[in-house]
Amino acid sequence: MYESRILGLAYVTPFVIGLLVFTAFPFLASLGLSFTEYNLIERPYWVGLDNFEFMFFHDSLFWKSLSVTLAYVFITVPLKLAFALYIALILNFKLKGINLFRTGYYVPSILGGSVAIAVLWRYMFADFGVINLILGTVGIDPVPWFGDPGWALFTITLLRLWQFGSAMVIFLAALQNVPVSLYEAAMIDGARKWQAFFRITIPLITPVIFFNFIMQLVQAFQEFNGPYIITQGGPLKSTYLLPLYIYESAFRNFEMGYGAALAWVLFSIVMVLTIIAFVTSKYWVFYSGDKQS
Amino acid sequence: MRSIEQTAASAQAMAEVRKTERRQKINAVVRYVILAAVGFAMIYPLLWLIGASFKTNHEIFTEIGFIPMHPTLDGYIEGWKTSTEYTFGRFFINTFIILIPKVLATAFSSTLVAYGFARFDFPGKKILFSILIATLLLPNVVTRIPQYILFRELGWLDSYLPLWVPQMFAVDAFFVFMLIQFLRGIPRDMEEAAMIDGCKPFQVLLYIVIPMLKPAIISVCLFQFMWSMNDFLGPLIYISSVEKYPIALALKMSISATESFEWNRILSMTVLALTPSLAVFFLAQKYFIEGISTTGLKG
Amino acid sequence: MSEVILNQLEKVYPNGFKAVHGIDLDVRDGEFMVLIGPSGCSKSTTLRMVAGLESISGGEVRIGGRIVNNLPPYERGIAMVFQNYALYPHMKVHKNLSFGLRLARQPKDQIQDSVDYVSGILQIEELLDRLPKQLSGGQAQRVAVGRALIKKPEVFLFDEPLSNLDAKLRASMRIRITELHRQIKKEGLSSTVIYVTHDQTEAMTMGDRICVLRDGHIMQVDTPTRLYDYPSNAFVAGFLGSPEMNLKPASLVKHEGKPALRAGGFVLELPEEKQKCLENQAEGPVTLGIRPPFIDLADDDAEGPTVEGTIKFVEFMGHEVFIYFDLDGEEYAAVNRIENRARLLSLKGGERARFRFNMRRAHVFDKKTEQNLTLSNHV
Repeated sequence: MYESRILGLAYVTPFVIGLLVFTAFPFLASLGLSFTEYNLIERPYWVGLDNFEFMFFHDSLFWKSLSVTLAYVFITVPLKLAFALYIALILNFKLKGINLFRTGYYVPSILGGSVAIAVLWRYMFADFGVINLILGTVGIDPVPWFGDPGWALFTITLLRLWQFGSAMVIFLAALQNVPVSLYEAAMIDGARKWQAFFRITIPLITPVIFFNFIMQLVQAFQEFNGPYIITQGGPLKSTYLLPLYIYESAFRNFEMGYGAALAWVLFSIVMVLTIIAFVTSKYWVFYSGDKQS
Repeated sequence: MRSIEQTAASAQAMAEVRKTERRQKINAVVRYVILAAVGFAMIYPLLWLIGASFKTNHEIFTEIGFIPMHPTLDGYIEGWKTSTEYTFGRFFINTFIILIPKVLATAFSSTLVAYGFARFDFPGKKILFSILIATLLLPNVVTRIPQYILFRELGWLDSYLPLWVPQMFAVDAFFVFMLIQFLRGIPRDMEEAAMIDGCKPFQVLLYIVIPMLKPAIISVCLFQFMWSMNDFLGPLIYISSVEKYPIALALKMSISATESFEWNRILSMTVLALTPSLAVFFLAQKYFIEGISTTGLKG
Repeated sequence: MSEVILNQLEKVYPNGFKAVHGIDLDVRDGEFMVLIGPSGCSKSTTLRMVAGLESISGGEVRIGGRIVNNLPPYERGIAMVFQNYALYPHMKVHKNLSFGLRLARQPKDQIQDSVDYVSGILQIEELLDRLPKQLSGGQAQRVAVGRALIKKPEVFLFDEPLSNLDAKLRASMRIRITELHRQIKKEGLSSTVIYVTHDQTEAMTMGDRICVLRDGHIMQVDTPTRLYDYPSNAFVAGFLGSPEMNLKPASLVKHEGKPALRAGGFVLELPEEKQKCLENQAEGPVTLGIRPPFIDLADDDAEGPTVEGTIKFVEFMGHEVFIYFDLDGEEYAAVNRIENRARLLSLKGGERARFRFNMRRAHVFDKKTEQNLTLSNHV
């Protein structure tokens, strides 16, 4: 029965349809759109590379947005991963109440992407918000979290870091999968805790580190809710991540063509980074079953 | 009679043991301290939120503790009314009107497609599967604009259709992938036994495979529920009439609509907005953590 | 009638690998046929082609006279017992048993009667309300057998059903299955069985006939006794029978004008029937096959074909003694009863001793084709 090829295809049909209609076609269409100007009222008309020319040579907003996005990604992704791994290592112990902690850290990551939490963040860091209140109790002046470009980016970053739980849970599972007998053998071989960590633990969890890294990278580049609701991209566009610019171009200014062009630039950057990551993964990701020293 | 050497040796051994025990205890204490500190920092925002929703506005601006000195339901009552002609209840209902078809459609289509991939051999399977994995990594910024144009052509703007109809076609590759991984861990024996017992192919899926897939399907539903509750950009671009707003849009609207100092109204609605997710999570905890760990490891 | 005929049955995988090479097999009505062979010999593949779980690349399968190649499993009149039991985990035992009957929409009381009958025979009445995960290995296996039995199929197919059980359970289940077979035969029900295993004890004790497979080819099909006494090739000779037959290089020579064997420098005379078979065989290297029980520790003045070898080590097994000795670089095993206790126990490694070979029970195999050259009209 399983060799019945028609049946198999039948089951997979919904996916194929969805793929064509909602993924493949829009994917190609957006590429085409990026070479047009389209405001939804008149027909789209071809402008060739004009959108891109404007973007790269005349659009300072684009460059500002791009640099903010890159800063955001290159700060949050490593930090979040490192912190998640750190906490996972601490939790990887026969502690009582480990599940309680694990749950506690995980909850923010399932709530974190929501509007509700973004709203909360906005009120917490507002000038009269509780964070400044707390700082006040130790004698620090209120910080203009949303008034200062640097601090604004900081609050958004913090929101993302707050959601390290999901990455941590994956790390923890991977750590717990490392057979205890390996550590015991290492102990007998004379390795210290430190050495065991670097030479056994880390190599064995590199596939998971890689997986988490890619996931976080792709997600970070698409961050929208936080900046949009908390800072609206300000002040002075210091939190104006590319997804916000894309949204405003397409759905506020009704410049669909330009929005598509921006989207493609963002997509290309993510793709290039992902490919680089994949290619270089050969050198540092170790899959058990490989014969490597 | 123990010799002097023997007693000295055993005393030294005892000292060693005590030293190790002490070290282990310190180690554990340090861990607990770090975990507790981090844990507190993590939970504080939520605790403050809940407390603040019951505080008077004045208290919000002056006290940092989370237990309100003069608890009040004012925030909830006023917040519920919202500043539109609808109560927050309306927005809640809207959210569920979107959610339920979405979750059901996801469960349905993901199961079918996963079954096809996991159990059958068909031409182009390898390619399609690679594409499936590729879509996991695909940033969907790039498809959003044309999708909007497509739905506009279909006349689906300002309706809920764009928010759940695609799910009928297994567009969320993550769930298909999750079910495929789960299915790979189940031997085919029982399905073969069912075929021998007289099951037609679709009956095998219905009577045998789906019952065995139950925990995974539940995980899929739970995850989709959570993610959909958090969905903001989708409703933002497709829904324009206030009466159709889900909670996400309603909350956003409240920020601008509310007087600058009536914080407890927004905060209380925020608590309500988070409640379904929290409730579902705590009721079905194990499905979440296991679901994420399995896919994560096999990725 | 429910005989099973395999006619030039072939299996070729999409990557070109030919797993089953045109095998012919006749399983008689009511026969208990065992398919045995080393792993990878495609015995399970063959079984699954009969069941309809694996597609047939060539040849035909007939069940009760009908060609079933293109029929789905449930139209072939078969029932199967899987190695991992394959019980439906979400159904209680009685639902597991009745699933097939319910699908066929049999009337409720008829289903109930069948369930009662089967659970009585297999003594699983108290288990009817349990879920599979609450059953022990042996209980689960009995339920699996029950699920097959309840369908009253024409042919029962077993795919290594006892492999997952511990040794003791395996022994008792072996007996139980054999008794079950006899019982349903007596009741006049269809009782043709094809039973796949890699365990030769199961094969030798349960089978009416055994079909030995190797790499998708049939090596020999015969009753257990005849396979033991008259193996048609070296593979079958070495595969069946425990302890394993000694298969060692020797030379076919002429001794006093008659064919004889030379091993380790010693001449082994052959009995007349075997000499006749080897008359036209050219002299040269061959393979000598002789089972350990047929090599005796000989007294120095013993008659008959003897060799002298160096003892390597001796294993005392209680009622038997295993003697491993070296003959010109080849290690032979001999199994002797413990009559000669004192002498046997005094043997030491490194000692030279004489061994007598019972050449009536020996075989000579062609070195290249592995065929048994000393089978005449017995076969």
